[in-house]
Amino acid sequence: MPQPQSEPHGRIRSNRLKAILIGLFLFALLMGPGPGLYLVNGYASQGGSVLGIPILYAWVVFWFFVEAGVVLAAYFKLWKADDE
Amino acid sequence: MNLLGAVDMGSVPLIVLCLYLLMLLGLGIVSYLKSRTSEEDYYLAGRGQGAIVTALTIMATFFSSAAMLGIPGLIYRDGIAFMFFVLNLPLSGLAIYLLGSRIWKLGQKHGHVTPADLIAAHYGNSILLRSLVALVGSLYVIPYIVMQIKAGGYLAKRMFPDADVITFFGSEYGTFELGAIALSILTMLYVLIGGMRSVAWTDVVQGALLIGGMIISGIATVMAMGGPSSYFDQVSQFPPEALSLPGASGVWSPWKLMTICMFASLATMIQPGQWMRYYSARSTKTLKQSALAFAIVLPCCFLFGVMLVALGARALYPPQVIDGSILPHPVIGSSANEFDLVVVSTIQNHIPLLFGPEVGVILVSIILVAVMAASMSTADSNLHALSAVLTRDVYDRFIRPQASEREKAWFGRAVIVVATLLALWIVRVGDRNPDFQPLALIAQLMFVAMAFSCQLLPLAIDALFIKAGNRIGAICGIATGIFVVCLFTPLPSIFLGADNSIANLTGTLNGLFDVGFIGFVANACVFAVVSYATMGSKKSDET
Repeated sequence: MPQPQSEPHGRIRSNRLKAILIGLFLFALLMGPGPGLYLVNGYASQGGSVLGIPILYAWVVFWFFVEAGVVLAAYFKLWKADDE
Repeated sequence: MNLLGAVDMGSVPLIVLCLYLLMLLGLGIVSYLKSRTSEEDYYLAGRGQGAIVTALTIMATFFSSAAMLGIPGLIYRDGIAFMFFVLNLPLSGLAIYLLGSRIWKLGQKHGHVTPADLIAAHYGNSILLRSLVALVGSLYVIPYIVMQIKAGGYLAKRMFPDADVITFFGSEYGTFELGAIALSILTMLYVLIGGMRSVAWTDVVQGALLIGGMIISGIATVMAMGGPSSYFDQVSQFPPEALSLPGASGVWSPWKLMTICMFASLATMIQPGQWMRYYSARSTKTLKQSALAFAIVLPCCFLFGVMLVALGARALYPPQVIDGSILPHPVIGSSANEFDLVVVSTIQNHIPLLFGPEVGVILVSIILVAVMAASMSTADSNLHALSAVLTRDVYDRFIRPQASEREKAWFGRAVIVVATLLALWIVRVGDRNPDFQPLALIAQLMFVAMAFSCQLLPLAIDALFIKAGNRIGAICGIATGIFVVCLFTPLPSIFLGADNSIANLTGTLNGLFDVGFIGFVANACVFAVVSYATMGSKKSDET
């Protein structure tokens, strides 16, 4: 039978998750609307596409899903309301 | 193919519009009947708003005419590059929870109503600081009100293109002016009647209309262009500058887009209207749920809704380059100011064709009303916030501290009337005088307003999280931020002539970064340095 997590252990895990999510969100901001765009901009200017979708549109949708994933993870795993 | 002449809209838009306006007035009256006469009830609806109302009022306040007119206008003009603006929305959602829940707690504890209440209290109730925070709030709110009223005029021109000019007291009023007047007077009325409760309830209707309108218009455009595959085939045929950065007008560098996404989002979420919504929420759980809804639903409305309309319109009606200037296709508009009409023109042209004239005309009317709802929901929140700021932070502190609750309520209402008339006057002068167009495009007005609001950010972050700054640092920081942002407005050109070194420098910086970010950096640096240098002076009071 698994032992219940100790309070400090839970806090360490929570802090680790917080750091990962912050890092991932900042990375998404750098790669999505930021300088990461230079990775695909040359291909985009040649009319490049992914599955028939212009590459920049696919890029913005992809990084939106990453950001949304971070928000969802934070909502379910980290955010605490006063009455919860 | 332009169907504007082929499909007679008849009186359907007028009927749909009247039903919508009657519903708003009804909600205003019901909320008035439920209200009490206290200032807190008028400005914060008794601090008891639930999750659905809070989520939709935050979204509707965020959705302005820029969402349905300005942002699609920029995508139509510049191509895919400006779509990256949407990545600011999940960050805005995070801000609702991270900033909003702390603002809510301090508001509950100390009875704060405006942003200046919290910030001034944290920094030892400085009168100067309170005034500066109130000024920043007003500098955000006023351009935003002007922007919404202007959108009402644009929309009326499209809904009733054949309406006659009306002469009233010797002055002639065209459709643009009548639309602007109608939108502003009605908005003013229900804000006057019901305060925050009325604003929030009408925002629920407007928010739902908007979400529906944005998604339906996107889906309809993709269907009208032959389905997703055909749609993206046509979009892929754009010229290279519309498929890549820096976009057709050459202004969207990745650094600029990233700083817009990071700072414009936070600026929008701490503007006075949104800040007061955090106070008015029932609990932090309400804000947590609102944050999630905002971060997920809103970007979907843009990415899979209204932004697809703008891209589709670019394929159907490509902008034209005439004498080196980019102009909209004649179907969309006739001048550079009319890029904003891209969504309205496209749905008017294509939805009746897709759904048949009867259903199509009703759908077009609903989407046009949704565009109007976008404008009204932001105008009402900003009028209401301006009233709170000027009543609480100016009248109550400096002019009549002994004023009764009743007197303050009437002063607040007078602010709403004066602000509405002033904004209407600015819109009317701009419409009649082609030389008075310093910030013609709706989106340009939006960026200036957000840049001012961004100057609250260093103080808010310090007051809510870091708690290391002091009053002198805060005053110097925010004053510097306001000054720097003013340098990016047309003011230097007005005082120093068109070709001056400041305008040249700001023009270069503006091409690289978001103006709010530049002001934020100056503000935060001065705040930190002065706070450190004056550490011996009185530390900030704990809130």
